[in-house]
Amino acid sequence: MKYTIHHKTTYTYQDPVSLCHNIARLVPRNSSGQICKNTSIRIEPKPDRINEYEDFFGNKVIYFSIEKEHWELTVNVTSEVERHHTGQIKMDVYRNASLEEIKMEIQNLKAESMDIRQYIFETPMTASNDEILEFAMRSFKPGKSVFEATEDLTKRIYNEFEYKPGHTTISTPLAQVMKERKGVCQDFAHLAISCLRSLGLPARYVSGYIETVSPKGVEKLIGTDASHAWFSLYIPDMGWTDFDPTNNCIVSDQHITIGWGRDYADIAPLGGIILSSGSHELTVSVEVKRTS
Amino acid sequence: MLADCPLTRFETMNPNLLANPIFRDYFNIHQSYGELLDDDGKVRPHWETFFATYSRLGEEEINGRNSDTLRLLRENGVTYNIYGDPNGLNRPWKLDNIPFLISKEEWTSIETGLSQRAQLLNLILEDIYGERKLIKEGILPMELIYNHAGFLRPCSGIRQVGKHQLVLYSADIAKSTKGKLWVVNDRTQAPSGSGYALENRTTMTRVIPELFDGLKVRHLSPYFNALRNGLNEIAPHKNLNPRIVILTPGSSNETYFEHSYLSSHLGFTLVQGNDLIVKDNYVWLKTMGGLERVDVILRRVDDIYCDPLELKADSQLGIPGLLQCVRSGNVSMANPLGSSVLENPGLMPFLQPISRYFLNEDLILPTIASWWCGQPQELQYVLENIKTLVIKKIHRSATGSSSIDGASLSGSQLEACKQQIRLNPALYVGQEKVEISLSPSLIEGRIVPQKVLFRSFLVSNQNDYVAMSGGLVRSSADATNFLISSQSGGFSKDAWIISPEPGRVVNVLKETSDSMVETYNDMLPSHAAENLFWVGRYTERILGNARFLRTVMQFLAEGNKLITDINRQTERSLLEAFTKYSYTLPGFAGEDADDLFADPWKELKDVLFNEKRVGGIKYNFLQFHKAIHEVRDHWSTDTWRVIRGMEEGLQNGIPLSHHGHMQMIHALDNLITSIVAFIGLNRESISREQGWIMLDVGRKIEQSLLVITMLRTNLVKKYSEQVEYNLQQSVLMSNEGLVNYRYKYRRPLQNLLVIDLLLFDPNNPRSLTYQVVRLKTYLQNLPKNNAGKSLTEYERLILEADTLLKLANKTDLSISDDDGYTNLEIFLSRLFQILSAIPGVISKAFFKHEMTSKTIIIR
Repeated sequence: MKYTIHHKTTYTYQDPVSLCHNIARLVPRNSSGQICKNTSIRIEPKPDRINEYEDFFGNKVIYFSIEKEHWELTVNVTSEVERHHTGQIKMDVYRNASLEEIKMEIQNLKAESMDIRQYIFETPMTASNDEILEFAMRSFKPGKSVFEATEDLTKRIYNEFEYKPGHTTISTPLAQVMKERKGVCQDFAHLAISCLRSLGLPARYVSGYIETVSPKGVEKLIGTDASHAWFSLYIPDMGWTDFDPTNNCIVSDQHITIGWGRDYADIAPLGGIILSSGSHELTVSVEVKRTS
Repeated sequence: MLADCPLTRFETMNPNLLANPIFRDYFNIHQSYGELLDDDGKVRPHWETFFATYSRLGEEEINGRNSDTLRLLRENGVTYNIYGDPNGLNRPWKLDNIPFLISKEEWTSIETGLSQRAQLLNLILEDIYGERKLIKEGILPMELIYNHAGFLRPCSGIRQVGKHQLVLYSADIAKSTKGKLWVVNDRTQAPSGSGYALENRTTMTRVIPELFDGLKVRHLSPYFNALRNGLNEIAPHKNLNPRIVILTPGSSNETYFEHSYLSSHLGFTLVQGNDLIVKDNYVWLKTMGGLERVDVILRRVDDIYCDPLELKADSQLGIPGLLQCVRSGNVSMANPLGSSVLENPGLMPFLQPISRYFLNEDLILPTIASWWCGQPQELQYVLENIKTLVIKKIHRSATGSSSIDGASLSGSQLEACKQQIRLNPALYVGQEKVEISLSPSLIEGRIVPQKVLFRSFLVSNQNDYVAMSGGLVRSSADATNFLISSQSGGFSKDAWIISPEPGRVVNVLKETSDSMVETYNDMLPSHAAENLFWVGRYTERILGNARFLRTVMQFLAEGNKLITDINRQTERSLLEAFTKYSYTLPGFAGEDADDLFADPWKELKDVLFNEKRVGGIKYNFLQFHKAIHEVRDHWSTDTWRVIRGMEEGLQNGIPLSHHGHMQMIHALDNLITSIVAFIGLNRESISREQGWIMLDVGRKIEQSLLVITMLRTNLVKKYSEQVEYNLQQSVLMSNEGLVNYRYKYRRPLQNLLVIDLLLFDPNNPRSLTYQVVRLKTYLQNLPKNNAGKSLTEYERLILEADTLLKLANKTDLSISDDDGYTNLEIFLSRLFQILSAIPGVISKAFFKHEMTSKTIIIR
């Protein structure tokens, strides 16, 4: 399946900005079942400096600075992505492995498997507490496989939490999201990750897009107006499986991955520091279109 | 049994030594191992030589010298700030004049051990941010590094130029009561203390040079030469003449004194984060003359605060975009960002195997026995033996001490602590408690044994590390306190390495020293310029207010004066004028003024001593003081003495029980003398470059505004002739103008002539014309960014003021009607408007701080 993604971000400043430094993580990386064919970035005004590199997690990073006075900044990213989802997840024994079995296997992972084990540790944005652990335990009942339990967790977040844009901000603590049971995709991803990590499982935060223009007969997904986020769980020998608690589904061809990290802070789409005294306004628009 | 009969043993060694009564307390305290005596109870030879000299000086002399030491440190402004303590700012540094002696043999093993350790930590640092072989091969557990707050993922893959990534290294070393040396802490991100060590040595050689008699003590200078070389070596692009700056968090940082001291000693510009800016992947210093490229940053800011773009987004201490420049290889940091990952007590148990792995050597200096709880067996051990251990977190937390002495915990605290460890075992380390050996110290006139911790300093120099032949020693004031840290107070000591040979010689690299001849003329950072400007303004503001206040007080206090309406009217006018002049409204100009007139002293005392009274003398003094400290490397030793005198004068003035006016006038007299001395000392000690210009521009602007305000508050209203006469006299007295007036005009006071003297006389150093003429010259000479011929905004303003003064019709100004001297008021208010616009314009052109940086994060 092929997609064209248009992602446009505009900052409008109340006072002129004399200098800005920005970091964008908006270029989709290649991953299993996904190839990013082409990405073009148009920034207005034209940056004085652009550095491109890969971060610690292998995501594509673009740093740019604008060193002349400006009142508005626009970042336009267009990507062409091919998605070849491997179909349904391999039905093998690992899918049925229990929490204890999987934890044991993870313990026995070789020392060099840092890429996986680094996603077990708690981060400030995924800090757990008793309430979160208790919430997780309700899905991870004895005898249940980790895979099924995670599907259940995904479903329970979908059912028990209200999707409410504007209710939370990026600095809302997870404990508050848990208590108030409202939030957006970032909050739901963080919650699931916190649940899994509190049980000792490796889980990572995925940033990306979902199809915005649905073909006939396909239900429109939630979270289409901006960039989206979900989580991924590692099960030995099975690899990483992505779950989307905002849409209660296992991720397939309708999701396009930009990149991943331990939490939002590792893979924030766009952020920066400006030299200015005034406030700013922000508009974001995303269009993800199937081209074939 | 040493403890029982040390005196007799000691006396047999050297009967004269103990004759001095200052030793009477030393052996009262039980000790098993001491620095002073060897295993056989004999005084170690270097201590014997030392105390022979020491006791020759005599108790009285020693105590006198001790006071000299403390006074010298105070006068030199050697301070240490304590966080969270309201009186903790600029706490005087304490130096015990008995040094910590290290024999040559002992030093040799310390030096090689430290050098090996620095090499080893450097390799670990390179590996953690590079290949991570130690983790991949299972030598170092991943959890120990990845859970550490100092492991900065954005720094992964960065490699600075130079032989070593770890440029600076510092270790705290303790000696056990069994005489064994232990490394207690590793300091790898921004080790502090080398400046204090140097200051301690300088003070010792000045105050008690006799103590060095008969002992060959190694010098500290090779370390500082090596530091210069080491920083030169990491300069990007093989730049032989790099611009090196010291990045400080600011004047309220605990070791700010040291930052400015090192800046002066090494000749590196002292900067704060907002003095620097990132453009085009380079770091630039904002100076009066524009942007200057920076090559090397010696940082005293913790690494996560250094770049709000990629590290801690809300940091106000850093430079947005810094990591991009580091990553591009255009600037080098000492130490590199991310190096705090090595400040990790959990690493200690792994150092021996890592040393075998990398160097194929055993550790020369043992580390203190430590158990990292991330492993099941070690966790078990720590939980079972917690009462005998010190519990540490793998990283220091922002809130206070991160060490807990297990023995100090109650039953329930112990359980809570264990629970914390069980929840997050990978974050905790149990460490053996070492009985620290005791060393003689002079505390409150008595020689007593104290626990000491020795901090050493190493710097990368070519293929090797150079250790300072000396160091900073801290002694615990509380003998029962195991945790010795500077934050909790205590004394410091100089460390002497006793050796007949001079030790390693380090010369400043030839090619660097030659090219150092090129000087940076435009180097005054904007931040320093701004503070100098404000020092100038506050100097004059304090002086002007103090003089006027004194005049008012003297008038009020004058005895034997007829209580006439004239006097009463003068009093009221003067008090009201003072309130307006000093901007201490409402005061005598407010609605309750009548109550205040009944007892004006209370209000005047408040204006003088209340530090919260905006516009008051003490308030202005604190502002002045703050600005002084921001640019503390600009003041000479003599100037510091004057500043210290002012501080004490204002401090001592407060607790006056009776608000006797004479004390207040006396306090003002002293303050005025000190401020005048301050101005005079600056005139002869500050070089006439941009620093001086900004200081004097600040003064001249303030003086201009003050003289205008003085005239507007006193001389534009119409009163009876006698009252006007009194006010004219007060104005002249407050401007040191009475003598000048009489000399120049030789006739009774007249409004026209008073105005002539204070506004137009080009030879009166307090006249407005005098200020404006000089300001004009200064402002024309400031560096210009636009090379064009058009006038800058500030030049235009000063020209306008100058022209107004030149074209004024003096006779018109002295005409009065029923509303008072209306022409004069209009004239003065126009001048005020013009001149008061200049600071804003200058600030915009040179200080560039009007824009604050702001973080945007979107989701």
